[in-house]
Amino acid sequence: MATSEPPAGIFVNRKIMRHLVLEGVAKAYGATLALRSASVSLQGGEIHALMGENGAGKSTLIRVLAGLERADAGQLTLDGVALRLTGPQDAAAAGLRFLHQEVQVVPGLSVAENMHLAHPLPQRWGLVDWRRLYRAAGVALGQLGIGHIDPRAGMAGLGPGDRMLVRIAATVIAGEGPEPWLYVLDEPTAALTQPEAERLFAVIGRLVARGAGVLYVSHRMDEVMRLADRVTVLRDGALVSTVDRAAMDRDRIIFDMTGRELGTLFPARSGVTGAVVLEVEAMCAPPLAAVTLAVRAGEVLGLAGLSGSGRNALLKALIGAVPRRGRVLVDGVAVAATPEAAWAAGMAYVPRDRRAEGVMLREGLGRTVVLPHLRALSRAGFLDHAAQRRVVADRAAKVRLKARGASQPVAELSGGNQQKVLFSRALAGWPRVLLLDEPTRGVDVAAKADIYALIRGLADQGVAVIVASSDLPELIGLCDRIALLQAGRIAREMAAEALTEAALLAAIYEGEAA
Amino acid sequence: MGQSLRSYGTLIGVAGIILLFWVLLPGTFMTARNWLNMSQQLSMLIVVASVMTVVMAIGDFDLSVGAMASLAGVVAAVLFVQGYGVPVALLGALMVGLLGGALNGALVSLLGILPFVATLATLTIFSGAAFMVSGGKTISGKAIPDAFSGFAKGGMALGTIADKPAVLPWLSVLALGVVAVIWVVLEQTAYGRRLYAIGGNMEAARLAGVKVVRLRLTAFLFTGAGAALAGLMYASRVASANPTQGDGLMLAAIAAVFLGMTMTPGGQPRVLATLAGVVVLGVLDNGLTQLQVDSYLREVLVGAIILVAVSISAIGRRSLGLR
Repeated sequence: MATSEPPAGIFVNRKIMRHLVLEGVAKAYGATLALRSASVSLQGGEIHALMGENGAGKSTLIRVLAGLERADAGQLTLDGVALRLTGPQDAAAAGLRFLHQEVQVVPGLSVAENMHLAHPLPQRWGLVDWRRLYRAAGVALGQLGIGHIDPRAGMAGLGPGDRMLVRIAATVIAGEGPEPWLYVLDEPTAALTQPEAERLFAVIGRLVARGAGVLYVSHRMDEVMRLADRVTVLRDGALVSTVDRAAMDRDRIIFDMTGRELGTLFPARSGVTGAVVLEVEAMCAPPLAAVTLAVRAGEVLGLAGLSGSGRNALLKALIGAVPRRGRVLVDGVAVAATPEAAWAAGMAYVPRDRRAEGVMLREGLGRTVVLPHLRALSRAGFLDHAAQRRVVADRAAKVRLKARGASQPVAELSGGNQQKVLFSRALAGWPRVLLLDEPTRGVDVAAKADIYALIRGLADQGVAVIVASSDLPELIGLCDRIALLQAGRIAREMAAEALTEAALLAAIYEGEAA
Repeated sequence: MGQSLRSYGTLIGVAGIILLFWVLLPGTFMTARNWLNMSQQLSMLIVVASVMTVVMAIGDFDLSVGAMASLAGVVAAVLFVQGYGVPVALLGALMVGLLGGALNGALVSLLGILPFVATLATLTIFSGAAFMVSGGKTISGKAIPDAFSGFAKGGMALGTIADKPAVLPWLSVLALGVVAVIWVVLEQTAYGRRLYAIGGNMEAARLAGVKVVRLRLTAFLFTGAGAALAGLMYASRVASANPTQGDGLMLAAIAAVFLGMTMTPGGQPRVLATLAGVVVLGVLDNGLTQLQVDSYLREVLVGAIILVAVSISAIGRRSLGLR
């Protein structure tokens, strides 16, 4: 077998830019319309930003592009020819490559081996030809101007930014198969530091210069304004606007993202608050730095901020899931920093990732509901089955859970009903403080309305509630007060009632720019 | 279809196997005497498999139970040789079991070593210790008091069957007692519920206030103590102790728990299902022996039947999307 250099630059000499057009794409999950009519036109040699709020349909659009979901309606054309995506292999064959914020790598292998996961390893006499392997990896890295990563280095020693660069460079290794030409980057900078992000931007620039197109999904307005040649905004599963760089305007994009009536999804605020229930004094837990706040009975406090701002970490620190310093008091009594102490003190937690952190999927839902309250629901260590049945049935009715019974495995329930299982669990111990992390993530609109009504109803009964959310209408519609977190600190607090989405979004981005 | 096959497939299979032996071995298989005899042969396995169910409920397992049973047996025998009485010997053996269990638990929960690795290492340690303590010899003869070996010979009178007294051996009574205790612990206490929660979703359990580290440690005390008890039962039954006599228990116990898991709705380890798993293994062994099937072929058949049961269960679970 003769050794051959990888061809220099697979996009070079390609005069005709490739283009992929999605038109009127619709996708429903059960009764929920994730996409109603989404259209976007992507072409080689440009960066196209995709923006929209949570639930606007960005992720679903990406899943359709990746061949992970079949669109119910709409057309896809690649270079003018109808394209059918029935699985990930079709997307790969069409030259599409996907990079998510958390890059999947094999830490135990070298950089060069990681780059060859999707390619055959160069071989000589049936053995791996290490020299050629490292050279091919080095050439690919070099083509994208990535000089600081050694192909022989172990992947484990690389940070998230460099891992992403390695993954991108892996796609330009010459292989059989069709050449990749369109990169879909989903919130690529969410986990990156500023210098790492800068390196990524440089590499994206080189990709585009070689003729590749990029679909860039981000919440970060500054990045979009800086990088994008065009911006498409989705709202409620439909296309709102696509504008060119010349016409791009920050306020206009924010308006397009948010221009929607909040409707009657949210229950009315009572405006009545009681004594302070939860006090937090100078709490530190990475990335939080000396956070001090207080929540009164009957009050719903919202936590806003970009991912990584400490929004979710604050709740984890409060429930004692991570080590913390500082004082946390419920009704004036200090609470130790363990989940056991927190639940016993009347705190209840609904985690963000319900499957990984909340429910026991294969077991009956009743098991999840009673778990934090087993001490109260047993006598001298022996389970009080009757009391458990009563509590599960009562709370399931309160949250309007749709299930066959306490023994139905959680895995069989819809996302909204799984979330209601966790709300039942939170309510089972008569909580004083409710800690809700993205309480309506992956929940359909009907269940959302139930959950909002439930939260407000609990507040009216004197519970202190904290809601961390990336869903701005939710924060504004549901909360009494919103604390804006930036880099682990509470940058400012705002009354939610008079706030507009545009103002809140601007406040979030303002802090980022500063 | 997948659901019912998964829940009842193994039970139907068990019924089929029993029926087959009943027909093929008229007059010797389906008799009270044979089953009472089987219950004694299986009593040690029942004890070890029951405690194995406890650690498997939290998603761990314990490879060291067989070596621990051997060690506990020879420790008791050596104490007899040195002239101690039955209470001291029993206490000594059980203490060894609890200490060994605590070691396993500490390695797994405090240090975070994978249970496979930790208990593989302690298996070797316990096994070596059993040889050291016994000097590599079988300890038997006059040193073993009759009060100790007599226990395995006696039993609970159940009346007469065909003019002969039917006796449920004390070893079987003891084993059923262990099953009852484990059943209460796992099914009726908050402690047991928390163990299953750890096995179901460790991070969710931790965030819900379950003291994961502490509970994982305590679960291994059950396997340690249960293995020691099984070792004592073995020694009593054969009125002797040697440093390898419990070794076969480990794989059979794990197999029994896995077989049992194929009979529970959620595919979880449950102690009554484990008992059924032990019965399957025992019936196969008993029936095939009576049919004079070659002992090597017998092992092949038993292994194949375990694989079939577990495969059917895995396929059923995949069809439910639970994998």
